[in-house]
Amino acid sequence: MIKIERRDETSNLIYFLTPVLAIFLTLVAGAIIFYLLGFKPSEALKFFFITPISDLYGLSELLVKATPLCLIAIGLSFCFKSNNWNIGAEGQLTFGGIVGGGVALLFYNHEGFYVLPLIILAGAIGGMIFAMIPAILKIYFNTNEILVSLMLVYVSKLLLDYLVVGPWSNPEGFNFPETRQFSDSARLPILFDGLRIHAGIFIALVSVFLAWVVLFKTYLGFQIKVSGLSLKTAKYAGFKGKTMILLVFMVSGACAGLAGVGEITGPIGQLHRMISPEYGFTAIIVAFLGRLNPIGIVFASLIVALTYLGAETAQIFLQVPKYTGQVFQGMILFFLLASDFLLFFRIKFLRFKKYEY
Amino acid sequence: MNTKLKISKISKIYPGCIANNNVSLNFESGKIYALLGENGAGKSTLVKILSGVINPDKGQIFLNDKLLKLTSPKDAKNNNIGMVFQHFNLFETLSVFENLSIDSEKNNYQLRILINNILKKYNFKIDLDVPILNLSAGQKQKVEIVRCLIRNPKVLIMDEPTSVLTEQETEDLFLSLKKFSKEGILIIYITHKLKEVLSLCDEVAVMRKGKVVSISRTVDEELSSLANKMIGESLNKIKKMTSNNLSGEQILSVSRLNFNSEDPYEVNLVDINFTLNKGECLGIAGISGNGQNELFQILSGETLSNNGSIKFRSKEISKLNPRERREYLMAFSPEDRISQAAVPSLKIYENVALNNFKTSNFFEKGLFNEKKIKDHSKKILSNFSVNTDNVNLKSQFLSGGNLQKLILGRELITSPELLICFNPTWGLDVGAINYIHQTLVKINEQGKSIILISTDNDELLQLSDRISVINKGKLSKIMSAEEVNPEKLGLLMGGGLVD
Repeated sequence: MIKIERRDETSNLIYFLTPVLAIFLTLVAGAIIFYLLGFKPSEALKFFFITPISDLYGLSELLVKATPLCLIAIGLSFCFKSNNWNIGAEGQLTFGGIVGGGVALLFYNHEGFYVLPLIILAGAIGGMIFAMIPAILKIYFNTNEILVSLMLVYVSKLLLDYLVVGPWSNPEGFNFPETRQFSDSARLPILFDGLRIHAGIFIALVSVFLAWVVLFKTYLGFQIKVSGLSLKTAKYAGFKGKTMILLVFMVSGACAGLAGVGEITGPIGQLHRMISPEYGFTAIIVAFLGRLNPIGIVFASLIVALTYLGAETAQIFLQVPKYTGQVFQGMILFFLLASDFLLFFRIKFLRFKKYEY
Repeated sequence: MNTKLKISKISKIYPGCIANNNVSLNFESGKIYALLGENGAGKSTLVKILSGVINPDKGQIFLNDKLLKLTSPKDAKNNNIGMVFQHFNLFETLSVFENLSIDSEKNNYQLRILINNILKKYNFKIDLDVPILNLSAGQKQKVEIVRCLIRNPKVLIMDEPTSVLTEQETEDLFLSLKKFSKEGILIIYITHKLKEVLSLCDEVAVMRKGKVVSISRTVDEELSSLANKMIGESLNKIKKMTSNNLSGEQILSVSRLNFNSEDPYEVNLVDINFTLNKGECLGIAGISGNGQNELFQILSGETLSNNGSIKFRSKEISKLNPRERREYLMAFSPEDRISQAAVPSLKIYENVALNNFKTSNFFEKGLFNEKKIKDHSKKILSNFSVNTDNVNLKSQFLSGGNLQKLILGRELITSPELLICFNPTWGLDVGAINYIHQTLVKINEQGKSIILISTDNDELLQLSDRISVINKGKLSKIMSAEEVNPEKLGLLMGGGLVD
């Protein structure tokens, strides 16, 4: 008979090492998959994980991809830590992009230092407002925030679709589904000539620091932590549960909105249908891989960003679909959850016992 | 056919408590048997043993002189023992028929005919194709009963079946049970409600502290004799030892407090009125599940009550949350010390920080003042003799007694004027119980007031100045501790006396 027991205590070291184990297992499983597809595993993995970052351009691309993932995951960690399941960061990112992009289009022929901050602010507010919808519905109507936030993703994506083919499409754009190019003052500055890495990375780093301070050093962070561990205790201590739901969703939405506006004012420079390769969903994996810890999230975002790049190189060199990247992301989450199970429980093998009376 | 069920010398020992102590009982079909007792008397353990959920340490069970091996609920089913638990085991979103077909081997067509016959025979009006969530509590219970009847049970065990039923539904249930009994099903009815025992059952076994203390025919009993047996005579020996100087200054007044819950498992509170003076301890007795939880949550502010219902020093506080009530120097020690009063995976000093309000200054300008909280925690650990001085220890490593000392210490170190505690010594060892009782007496002597909600009658009589009994969400007349005797307490707790 197999018996599953809860472990008494798990050490902090193991807690942060299991993500490393999960990544290792992902690599092993990935090697097996490549082998079954008829590739040489070591070579395939090299194309996937080493080649993309073997030059400066690759490293810059890694940071370009990691920036939005990190930002969104930081926001999500506020929600997840307090037991609020915001699955709609992709929608908040899109809506933030729409609002920020709208402001950018408004100023398409303006130049000035004030343009960019205005756009960024508008994007953050856009994401925030969009995230408040599931929060308010949860507070007043007890709806399930997982469903509401997820469904709102499609609302914002369809809205973006409508805008870029309809009212906001570029008048000189030959009916391509995209808007005008933003003006130069509406773009995040590029850090190095010839590379795409942009100033958005500083927004991400500042938010990492702020999140760390708030989560670990403030009363708000303490309340978030307690609510996540036991809602009963939070109620008993008299924390304002409803205000907190709203607040964590606002933080989360603002971060996703910032990520969206960072994309359109950074690498993209206009609005079109595909402003995000599902960063909002992938960031959920990043948040958990980083153990909902701001520092952990920084590392996790780099690793998951690599799967995006790896998928592209693999597509070129191995002729496999780029969705291989999602397979790897899925495997990371799968192995993380699996190793977490062993972290909190132990499996015991028992001999059959005879009952005696 | 006659069914005989014999329980012989069953014992079940848990660490620190003997749940069943050498229990022997005989049942025979054609009669309805009551198993009566307070919380913790051992009824549920016995029922769980009969249904195969737990295994006894000692003893045997015979059905028609055949030794039964009940190692799992499946064994009980295969031996024609049916159980209806207090909390229903139904899938809310599945239909009645789907719920019934889940654990049946029959094919759907046969099963439907069989169920329809049962429904017709006992005049149960249930639509088989509506989801469970559309049914009333009484109807859900009927579904559970039908689930047992499908298997032609020889024994049917009902565990506190009326706690979620209305009076009409209760009457219906009793009629059905009597019918089953006539048809030869042996019925064992577990309850703490005295009236139900007298109106439904033929024989009654009373359990107290794991032992069977009396077996008798209900025609030879009356409410008061049963109450006496259930509570025990030992109460007379203990009398309150505090005699404090009550100043007559009113601290808390609760008037016309009503609470209607949407959750069918919660109890509605009906017109609660009482006042509490400075330095006084008001005990609230009752069998658990009669509204104590709801009353505690309303007094602590976790649940808000109707406007004007609670006044603290004549200030209206009904709409304040627990943190705001703490500003008025109220303190709360809930029943669930493990998962509500503290978070097991948090460190001691973090759990201390839960009791945070403006004057405690744990968070200056919103920032966590770790040193201050740790110093404060150290003071609690030493003042309340918690057997550790490591404030970084996770509270899951504290024993029940030490955890309770920590929680009481956290609540009391701010010198509150009123402490509301709910079963403060539940499940603790004798040493910890003594310490906590002494602490409660001491704060009474210091002129602080206490509301003690407890299911432990010895404790209530030992500590309270006045006692009231809560039954089905209603509070009895408040009595002074001296005029309370076991009979009166038992009658009030069992709902046998309304005044």
